[in-house]
Amino acid sequence: MQYDIETGGRVRHVAVNRAGDGFAVSVDGRLHQVDLARIDAHTLSLIVDGRPGPLGPGSVYEATVAPGTDGRVVVAIGTVPVTVSLHGRRGGGRRQGGAAPGSGPLRITAPMPGKVVRVLVKTGDAVRARQPVVVVEAMKMENEVRADRDGTVAEIHTRDGMSVEAGALLMIIQ
Amino acid sequence: MKKILIANRGEIAVRIGRACREMGISPVAVYSECDRTALHVRLADEAYAIGGSAPRDSYLRIDRILEAAKKSGADAVHPGYGFLAEQASFARAVQDAGLTFIGPTPEAIAVMGSKTAARAAAVRARVPVVPGTPDPIPPAISGSQLQEIARSIGYPVLVKAVSGGGGKGMRTVIHPEDLVDAVRAARSEADAAFGDAAVYLERRLTEPRHIEVQLLGDQFGTVLPFVERECSIQRRHQKVVEETPSAAVTPALRQSLAAAAATVARAVGYTNAGTVEFLVEPGGAFFFLEMNTRLQVEHPITEMVTGIDLVQWQIRIARGERLDLDPDALLTPKGHAIECRIYAEDPDNHFLPSPGRILALRAPAGPGIRDDSGVTAGFEVPIFYDPMLSKLVAWAEDRPRAIARARRALGEYVVGGIKTTLPFFVWLLGQPEFAAGRFHTTYLDELLASPNRRPFAEPGAGIEDVAVMAAALQAMLSPSATAEGGSEKGVRPLFGAGSRWKDRARLEGVEGLAARAVRH
Repeated sequence: MQYDIETGGRVRHVAVNRAGDGFAVSVDGRLHQVDLARIDAHTLSLIVDGRPGPLGPGSVYEATVAPGTDGRVVVAIGTVPVTVSLHGRRGGGRRQGGAAPGSGPLRITAPMPGKVVRVLVKTGDAVRARQPVVVVEAMKMENEVRADRDGTVAEIHTRDGMSVEAGALLMIIQ
Repeated sequence: MKKILIANRGEIAVRIGRACREMGISPVAVYSECDRTALHVRLADEAYAIGGSAPRDSYLRIDRILEAAKKSGADAVHPGYGFLAEQASFARAVQDAGLTFIGPTPEAIAVMGSKTAARAAAVRARVPVVPGTPDPIPPAISGSQLQEIARSIGYPVLVKAVSGGGGKGMRTVIHPEDLVDAVRAARSEADAAFGDAAVYLERRLTEPRHIEVQLLGDQFGTVLPFVERECSIQRRHQKVVEETPSAAVTPALRQSLAAAAATVARAVGYTNAGTVEFLVEPGGAFFFLEMNTRLQVEHPITEMVTGIDLVQWQIRIARGERLDLDPDALLTPKGHAIECRIYAEDPDNHFLPSPGRILALRAPAGPGIRDDSGVTAGFEVPIFYDPMLSKLVAWAEDRPRAIARARRALGEYVVGGIKTTLPFFVWLLGQPEFAAGRFHTTYLDELLASPNRRPFAEPGAGIEDVAVMAAALQAMLSPSATAEGGSEKGVRPLFGAGSRWKDRARLEGVEGLAARAVRH
């Protein structure tokens, strides 16, 4: 999964993949191995890179993740609250029925409530994995919704200027 | 005494309930509409609803509190601090209902509730008071008479409300030409806040410390003072950090302060727990400021260094026991204790209230740590009351170790879902002047006003990276727990109340809301 996450006036590109028992998380291209344990619904314990590294003098962090106002999320690392904005899942569309990558229809959904600024493709277009297909504006930011994999645009369920709820179906890629 | 009704809420109601239980007494809670799930209700044996969330509809309703007391069959009432604790009429109503009021007599509350009457009592007891007018300024006084009085006291002068507290109805006058306007402004502020427009004048001391003496008095005339509490760390006249003993008090000064406090208390026939507040000048000269006729917020630090349970003693005195404590031991602190008042406020946004649901909570523990809290995870911090969540107290063998321990505990404290003053305390306890014990009552306000101050909670680049990683992981694994997924599933209204409080704060003006929150 990939996310654009804004904090401190800067957008970070974050990619998360499972790796063994933990996760490989890249932040702006710098890869970290994260051992993750859930403490409660809002609290995560992270051990980053298994030892003190470039992030600080330690490697154990506790994060309390709380939804804030205006769609922002407040992540407290210890006593330091960090306000972040999740600008959607890039390539975060869901596959139906557990279809294997590269086969079956792919539903592209809105990652957040917002307004469709531009539909970038039309029915019948061939698209490649990670290709932007729709631009949704939310929190005064434009967010590109991308195709998860190669395919052909089968159905389009939105149009420029349409307001969408989070999870609304935008298009189906065959 | 078998059953005590606790006419309060929050951490102090929890604190009193604990003392009751330890003494085999059944604690009875009262609660307002928004406090049904509050900790003080959950820990009580019985609980009675007393009305709407606004204090005037519940915690200030003497009739409903007494009705609850009657229904429960309680034989005594503990007022805590704030709300009705210092209203002589409440103490009298409790007695008239045939119940024991756990506190001083209505007469003592009334005398000390008037600042000018309290000053007069101190003068009669030959305890120095800050130079000022012995009586309220007559409303019809002429400008020139006023100027004459101020000149005889000496500038700068303070205009203070006779019924005041918490800095309301108070004005500092440095230039004589501002005096008449300041008196007028203080009068109208005092009238609005306390229903009493009377004001008096007092000299403003230069860089004084606020030092207070806890005492207990029994019904047989014994009054015992305790080692002093240092309360000079204040933000806009509200205490935020208290410690004992004071770094500025020598053993000789301690004896003098204790003797003066006990003399004032004896002069008014004081019983139960009370606190005499002094201003202490850099040279050690001290002046009576006022007497608080109740348990103080900061009482735990005294308990930590003396081993005395003040709330249990309040109950024991009320039921007629004799104070048989060793007076010397009460003036001999064992170690050092520091208290931080943890508020639901955003220190990086002008300390605006930050109410809302507490999503996660981990209180610190371990050696020397005491956390007197009124909240739990899942509780919605209401918009209606003082936003204090808890009092974090650290005890250690000496002051440097107590500071280190407090900082350790602050680092362990997690309150998720709302902003708190925790990062502010991490910053404050790291200030060199604090470590050196070099401060006075306006030190913190001056420090906060410095233009180049950094935010209290400033994430370094590494912390930001960890935060975005955590946000991404949470979004992926538990989308309903982030705002994005939450709105999708309709489980969003976690923070509705938060914005409501903030809207109200904006509506009334931040100053107005701050003025409304009377703290103790």
